[in-house]
Amino acid sequence: MAAYEPSFAQEVFGNVDFGEEIKMCMQCGVCAGSCPLRDHMDYPPRQIFSLIRAGKREEVMSSSAIMLCTSCYTCVVKCPRNIPVMDVMHGLAHYALKQGYVPRKDTANFGKEFWNQVYKLGRIDEKDLPRRVFFADGLVNGIKSTLNFMDVGIKLLLHGRMKLLPERKIKGIKSLRKMLDKAEKMGKGGAAA
Amino acid sequence: MKYYLYWGCSLEGTGANFLLSLRPACEALGMEFEEIEDWNCCGASVSYAGASDLAIKVLNARNLAMAETKGSYDIVAPCSSCYIQMIKVNHEIKEDPAVLKEVNDCLAEGGLHYKGGIKVRHIQDVLFNDIGVEKIRERVTKPLNGLKIAGYVGCQSVRPYGEYDSTVKPVVQDRLLEALGAEAVPFPKKMLCCGSGIFLPEMDYCLELVKSILEDALNHGAKLVSTVCPMCAMNLEMYQDRINKKYGTRLDVPIVYLTQLMAAAFGMDLKKGAALNRNVIPPEGILKEAIG
Repeated sequence: MAAYEPSFAQEVFGNVDFGEEIKMCMQCGVCAGSCPLRDHMDYPPRQIFSLIRAGKREEVMSSSAIMLCTSCYTCVVKCPRNIPVMDVMHGLAHYALKQGYVPRKDTANFGKEFWNQVYKLGRIDEKDLPRRVFFADGLVNGIKSTLNFMDVGIKLLLHGRMKLLPERKIKGIKSLRKMLDKAEKMGKGGAAA
Repeated sequence: MKYYLYWGCSLEGTGANFLLSLRPACEALGMEFEEIEDWNCCGASVSYAGASDLAIKVLNARNLAMAETKGSYDIVAPCSSCYIQMIKVNHEIKEDPAVLKEVNDCLAEGGLHYKGGIKVRHIQDVLFNDIGVEKIRERVTKPLNGLKIAGYVGCQSVRPYGEYDSTVKPVVQDRLLEALGAEAVPFPKKMLCCGSGIFLPEMDYCLELVKSILEDALNHGAKLVSTVCPMCAMNLEMYQDRINKKYGTRLDVPIVYLTQLMAAAFGMDLKKGAALNRNVIPPEGILKEAIG
């Protein structure tokens, strides 16, 4: 591990939601031990924090680990230093995406489309969301994914678990968007590259 | 007892059997519900890809503020994602009053203000603490007669705050199942995550999680798995055939909502009351056998 190099850590503290919480980390590794997807991460959360302290910007911002979070909150419960590890990872992923990195392509598409729908409608359209995610990666991949998930769609439809009408905008959509725009301006982690 | 019911996006679609069974089962226990007019989505667990933390807080604070303006009932959120997103705002406001000011600066753009006074409760919390297992047991007309059920708790209905149950060894769902006459089987993976909101984009990894949860439940004798979360229900139920194909397993275990079991044990119609016909892996056979 390289020596302590504070410039990236400062960047994280200043721009990433919950970024300053990293200061509390004592490198015990309980977060990694408790994570359901730890086996699939390139760096466990503990190591991500250590890489931040070592100034390894590229490694952190392009790490798959920061977007492999299922949001199960186990690390948050287990951390002996009360770091909301999950929130830090979400903050890092948000910041990395804003800076043009794509830690996990499919999850990034899914999350972005999810938020786009919230912003557009105020609600989620469960039919439309997967369609948009599938086709975010081009027509051919879109058709492949659609065919791959056709069985799930049909089962849901046949069992009355798919809303047939398209989701409409909530009445207060315009005022909701104003609130969210203001929040984006005020919030941390919003700074574009 | 009156509550706001914030059912969220999923319970109108993929989680329809949750809402359809929740209403009659809870109303039979004397609960009354009012909708939060013009509610919006909670942002669930993946919105961070597109939104800052403050924007997600404001999104949830809008619902809280609208509820607070209209009345002072507690909000019941059956979907664990809705629950955790709203309760998180309340917790962060309590920890740091500056957060409330930031949130209100944004809400003001739409003429709203949140004082921070609305309680958000999970459906299990309300059933266990406001109604109580005794009252639920009294209402049972068709007990589940020792049917072995694995009460899958998952994540966001208790973690991280543990408002009404232990985050390490949760018991509430098991006590509720027992009140219906079922035998709640212990299984160590009752709190292992199913993949939640990233199941779809990270399916290869998440199938593994679901496989290990279901096998654990079955190895401990469960005939059914119960849940109180629309993501858990979807992830545990819809992909069992894919797991079987990938791993050569023979999973075929029905996943039911706790409220569906309540409706069934309260003697309601298994279709109209318990909405069991909406489950993709049919639980009726096992339930009818148990109820008699």
